[in-house]
Amino acid sequence: MIDIIINEWTKFLRNPVFVYLNVFFMFSLIFVVYLGILQNNSQETNRKIVEDEVREQWDNLEPMNPHSAAHYGSYAFKPMNLLNGLDGGVNDITGNVIKLEGHVQNEILFSEASQSLSISKFGKLKSSLLLQIIIPLIIIFLGYSSIINDKKTGVLKLLVVEGLTLRKIIFGKSLSIWLYGLLLLFLTIIIQILSMSNFESLNRLILLIISYSLYYYILAGLAVYFSSIFKNNTTSLSIVMCLWIVWTIFIPKLWGNTVEKVYPLPSRQVFKDSMKEERSKGIDGHNPFDKRRDILKEKFLNQYNVDSLSQLPLNFDGIVMQADEEYGNQIWDKYFGKNYYILEKQKKLFQISGIVNPFSSLQSLSMGFAGTDMMHHLDFLKSAEDYRRYFIKELNDQHAFGGSKTGDWKWTVDSLYFRSVKKYDYKSAKIFDKINYYSLDVICLLLWFVAVNSLIFFINRKKNIL
Amino acid sequence: MIKFLKIMLSEFDHFKRSPFKIFSLLFYTMAIIYGCQNGYTLYKKHNLEINNIKTKISDSQSKMIKTFDDIESGSIKKPRRDPTTPYWALRNTSTYSFKYPSKLMVFSIGQAEQYGYYKYITNWSTVFDEDLAHEIANPERLAIGTIDFNFIFLYLTPILLIILLFNIGGLEKDLKFENLILLNDISKNWWIFTRFSFYYVLNSILIICCLLFYVFHLEFDQANFNYFLNLFFIICIYLLCWFAIFYTINIFGNGSLDQSIKMVSIWLIFCIVIPGSIHQASSIKYPTNYMLDYLNVSREKSNEIFSLSSDSLNKKLMNSYKFLKSSKHAKDSIVSKSIINRSVSAIINDLNKNVNYQIESKNEKKNKFINSFNIFNPVTFCQNKINKIAETDYYSYQKYRFQIQTKIDDQINMILLDTWNKIKINKKKYLQYIDELK
Repeated sequence: MIDIIINEWTKFLRNPVFVYLNVFFMFSLIFVVYLGILQNNSQETNRKIVEDEVREQWDNLEPMNPHSAAHYGSYAFKPMNLLNGLDGGVNDITGNVIKLEGHVQNEILFSEASQSLSISKFGKLKSSLLLQIIIPLIIIFLGYSSIINDKKTGVLKLLVVEGLTLRKIIFGKSLSIWLYGLLLLFLTIIIQILSMSNFESLNRLILLIISYSLYYYILAGLAVYFSSIFKNNTTSLSIVMCLWIVWTIFIPKLWGNTVEKVYPLPSRQVFKDSMKEERSKGIDGHNPFDKRRDILKEKFLNQYNVDSLSQLPLNFDGIVMQADEEYGNQIWDKYFGKNYYILEKQKKLFQISGIVNPFSSLQSLSMGFAGTDMMHHLDFLKSAEDYRRYFIKELNDQHAFGGSKTGDWKWTVDSLYFRSVKKYDYKSAKIFDKINYYSLDVICLLLWFVAVNSLIFFINRKKNIL
Repeated sequence: MIKFLKIMLSEFDHFKRSPFKIFSLLFYTMAIIYGCQNGYTLYKKHNLEINNIKTKISDSQSKMIKTFDDIESGSIKKPRRDPTTPYWALRNTSTYSFKYPSKLMVFSIGQAEQYGYYKYITNWSTVFDEDLAHEIANPERLAIGTIDFNFIFLYLTPILLIILLFNIGGLEKDLKFENLILLNDISKNWWIFTRFSFYYVLNSILIICCLLFYVFHLEFDQANFNYFLNLFFIICIYLLCWFAIFYTINIFGNGSLDQSIKMVSIWLIFCIVIPGSIHQASSIKYPTNYMLDYLNVSREKSNEIFSLSSDSLNKKLMNSYKFLKSSKHAKDSIVSKSIINRSVSAIINDLNKNVNYQIESKNEKKNKFINSFNIFNPVTFCQNKINKIAETDYYSYQKYRFQIQTKIDDQINMILLDTWNKIKINKKKYLQYIDELK
């Protein structure tokens, strides 16, 4: 087996065109990885500047009523994961900023895609584009004729006479091509590692290496297998290319559309209207004539055994605002929870396409392990909402228990208090906390790995040598 | 001419005998229909959603008209948010701005899924509000993209052409009988050109037939038909470019395999590598805008305005809106706090408009950068041309943002004029508002 691999590599290296093209491609790859890191860093620097400026404004707020400060609000800026430079995933499409304020749960805004004309339908020239589209094509070009040429020149018969089995030859050739893909993969990963400083990213990179390695093996195995069963190069190339086109272009888009039809999401209008209607059934913090407010008032008057709000040792307005918030939070949990549930079901259904399309599994794993897929995006949104709840409760509690009396809207807190409110600091989810979301993709890739090996293992020797 | 037709006919025979080519062509046809159908579904969905909102608007306006009737007849007390004031009457007009989908959206979904197409308008609205973000959708699906005709045509037509053309002239070289062709008293180039022409005609007819079905189904008017002709012109030119590239490859090719690899490489370069590189370069040169200026207006600067005294706001308003100087309130010796409070949105709107201008200018710079590569990036160029025809490109949505801004301005001007002139709103005036904001 090792001899076959050495022999194949010797053949590759004897071809000057292959060597020159490779050197060129490797330099291009290094450059693309570097550009990905550069773009990510520049984006992250920008985000930090904006985030710091917004926080500085908060820290230096003029004395203000806590509820006015809740309306003034804060912002959560989506951080760029370090591996965003490797695979941007959904980051170009989703927004980057959420306003966190009292009474309302806003949506994430200002996506990169909405800020310019449409450019590439296959995404930016990042490492993922090369690793998912270009390198597989190189693997196909290396593999589609490997056995056919040996058949034509009679080398295959000679190898069999020498005692090698066709199975071993196919495995050997597949491995030699796979090793080439692996070399390019490692080159990408090593440059990526040079720009990293945390252990979590390393874990993610290891998982990425495993996923891409499996996919490259599947492709290399299939290309060599087709080369062994077809009699001419054109047929072999046509079949593998068709497979590549269907896998890479058609199925992901087609199936992506289908899953949205199977599990439809509500339109924004319907979603907002339903939420608004349900929210109107709760306490309205800003409506002094609200009946539910009166019930809460009675409860507090009884609890403190006093006759009027002015006798309460707290500011009832803050209590009402927090009750309004808590009711709103339940509505958010219900409606956004429903949407997130639908999105998770869509994701699972999409992952099932991995049974017929290993590329879908690879794409999903690549985004997931790079921390740029939908699950990581939802994790950010949930974390921003959790922070919003902390932020508003903190302000409402200050309003209620900070020392003011009911109706005293002129009571203010100063910047010392505002500075004590914790800053929003999002840490991307740890990959091993999310790994169960990707089990279906891993299973599909492993199934393909077994299927390709089985194809090679059970190949009809005589028919394919002759 | 007869020789030309004979070669075309023989190419047809060759095509008939290639099940792989026939299958590819059928698959491509199905993909075009699927792409158009996706566009058609989105077109219908947008129209349906707009109609639903219109029904909601009409219900809400009817309720308000009834409230006016009840107030005027004295059967109800004025609500907390008094609709007889211009401010609350206008807030209750349920004003929306819609971006009606063009019928040509069927052929190109373009950037339509990245923007909102309906917007509720109040005097506090801005063109970057959250209800202008894209519809609730699966972000992974959006990132992977949708199959529409534009995508099929620009990215997959070259692949179909590779399948149809890779062995023209190449097969003869593979089997080493290319010199036999010269015995027929024709030049090799002319022979390849004629065979290519057959596929050019076949492809063009196929595409036009698929598209014409939707043109008739949607009953295009003259204006839309003219746009459709523009689209067809782009289709013909784009096809011609790819045929020219592949023709050159086949003329200088060394057999089917050599030709197919060169064709695939060219496709990769034009459809994936160049657009991807420009996309990445534009992101590095113009990173995603976090809209800090806009955020500052909606928070920091608004807060500064709110903390100003009524006198200062009064002066600011009169300086910005000269027509207020002749209003009833301007002639009063005491500044009314409630009138000023209801007018503050005008000052914030002015700040927002300045910021919008800056944001649009930044985006324009990025677009200019992208367009500066059009000569090397014909696929993206054509993609945006087709999006423009279908009104699903960035500029169509920019135009929509301008339309929204005009409606915001109109509403603010009405609030200012009638509030400062202390006009009481009745049913007649309310109906007038509705009519003016339509």
